[in-house]
Amino acid sequence: MSTEIFQKIAETNTWSWIAPELAMGVLALSLLVLEVILPKVAHGAIPRIAILGQLVILGYVVTGTCAGTFPAGEAFGGMLYFDGTGQLFRVFFLGASIFVSYLGMVSLDKRLLPQVEYFHILLVITAALMLLAQANHFVMLFVALETATVGFYILVSYFRHTTVSLEAGLKYLIMGALSSTILLFGIVLLYGAGSNPALAGSSQDSLNFGNLAGFLAANPDDTLGLIGMILVISGVAFKIGAFPFQIWIPDVYQGAPLPTTALLAVSSKAAGFAMLLSLSKVFSALGDWFYPLLSALAVLTILFGNFAALTQRNLKRVIGLSGVSHAGFLLIGVIAARTVDWASTAILFYLFAYLLASAAVFSVLVHLNKDDDSDLTLDDLGDLAKKNGFLGLGLAVGVGSLAGIPPLAGFIGKLLIFIAAFKAELYGLLGVAIVGVVVSIYYYFGILKSAFFDVWQFQADEEEAPTAIPGSALGFLGKLAIVIAIAGTLLLGFYQSPFSSWLVG
Amino acid sequence: MISLEQYIAVSSLLFAIGFFGVLFRKNTLVIYMCLELMLNAANLALIAFSRYHGGMGGNLFVFFTITVAAAEVAVGLAIIVALFRKRQTVEVEELNELKN
Repeated sequence: MSTEIFQKIAETNTWSWIAPELAMGVLALSLLVLEVILPKVAHGAIPRIAILGQLVILGYVVTGTCAGTFPAGEAFGGMLYFDGTGQLFRVFFLGASIFVSYLGMVSLDKRLLPQVEYFHILLVITAALMLLAQANHFVMLFVALETATVGFYILVSYFRHTTVSLEAGLKYLIMGALSSTILLFGIVLLYGAGSNPALAGSSQDSLNFGNLAGFLAANPDDTLGLIGMILVISGVAFKIGAFPFQIWIPDVYQGAPLPTTALLAVSSKAAGFAMLLSLSKVFSALGDWFYPLLSALAVLTILFGNFAALTQRNLKRVIGLSGVSHAGFLLIGVIAARTVDWASTAILFYLFAYLLASAAVFSVLVHLNKDDDSDLTLDDLGDLAKKNGFLGLGLAVGVGSLAGIPPLAGFIGKLLIFIAAFKAELYGLLGVAIVGVVVSIYYYFGILKSAFFDVWQFQADEEEAPTAIPGSALGFLGKLAIVIAIAGTLLLGFYQSPFSSWLVG
Repeated sequence: MISLEQYIAVSSLLFAIGFFGVLFRKNTLVIYMCLELMLNAANLALIAFSRYHGGMGGNLFVFFTITVAAAEVAVGLAIIVALFRKRQTVEVEELNELKN
């Protein structure tokens, strides 16, 4: 065999294009090295080094994109595809990772557990998700997704001294592995369909998104391709927590450590939508099946998420189930993107608004004094606002943005999605979404009610009732995190033009 | 000569057995074996497609899925062992601490 083909492949291996992901990997490994070489007293600095390193990488990505120096196009023999959307997802995952690192720092300090591994795995997951958002080939997609998922298993069961964390880990493991195999079988069927030399448009490299889209356009009624598409969408629906693949969400969110819950709520969901956005281009030829399937998922997801959240008392379960309904709204955006070009921008805006709102909510929750954060209920909020007004404000802005109260970012995010759906003439979905929003106001205000108004309790319970730590103990970083989340939410609520100009310009 | 359809039929059957095993079995270890069965069903189909359609892509992909499956098993068994030490059981029905 001649070496020409290898030379050809190597020519497209532009390593400098994936510098941010490589830097994340190097940072993750160097954290482990630092733990070995630093004296024990200095170990507290390692999480700070992790956050600092990620901030540098984030700065590199943001300045590179703003200056327009980041390249666009295919790399690594068609494995990766770089464009503006991918850059924005990079920024998103880095931002989410920095904020989860901060939560981890606060949350793990309370426990006698090895800390460095948490940040190591977090960085590896983030690097994998950044690659996932730019995958242009099913092998890349599967490997990146599995790297992230296996990391998630570990982070969910990280508090291994508590049964709830392990139980959540086991449930996530079984459901996650099941969805991965379904996704894999779907990919295999697509490979089998696309590589059949007897059919028009077939190719040797049929797992490449472009080649597969070409094949499906030539054979839109290929049974194997159709079944493959349905299985792949089922696997992705698990990631975003769409009905009927949402059964793991309440249990896993409740049992997982708080920082991991935040990571699942934000990054895992966004990863699903990054996949859906690139897959919707592949499956556009199967649109007659693909979009009705997504519509059905969206309707059921919005209705289930909102109505199931109504009866919950556990805070993490409420947040998990409300996240299910957010996934439903975002699915409407994906469907609208079929005919409305800017709908994918609306999805990204919604995700960023969701990131900032979740950052506010979780940064407040992590400061509630409770040994076991899996049974944090609404009552535990006590009258948080009276005891610590700053935390109360953070919670109000975060929950308000999740509920979609103007002028916060969450409102604009929902508005953009709804306008896109209106332009795409999806009136039925729009109606369901508005019902969902109305229902969601009820449980979001339930959270605010218990935080801002006195809850009557037995006298005997008073000593046990957990209280928020006083504002002075928040520390500089704690205040900074909440201030950034509030400021970002308000800023995106009033001022959206830089966001859209990034993608368009 | 075994035809491609026969391979795919066997592979689909294995996948279905694994899938219903995951849904209906109660022991975590058995569930885990069913998951492995599903992964190997996918591998079998990949190899068959690759052989009959004359491309190397499927063969290469199998290496990735085997690696991924190994990583998943390593983490999964660790979680199961840790949970067994805490609870002395791996029956799914008895793992019900997470509730509203």
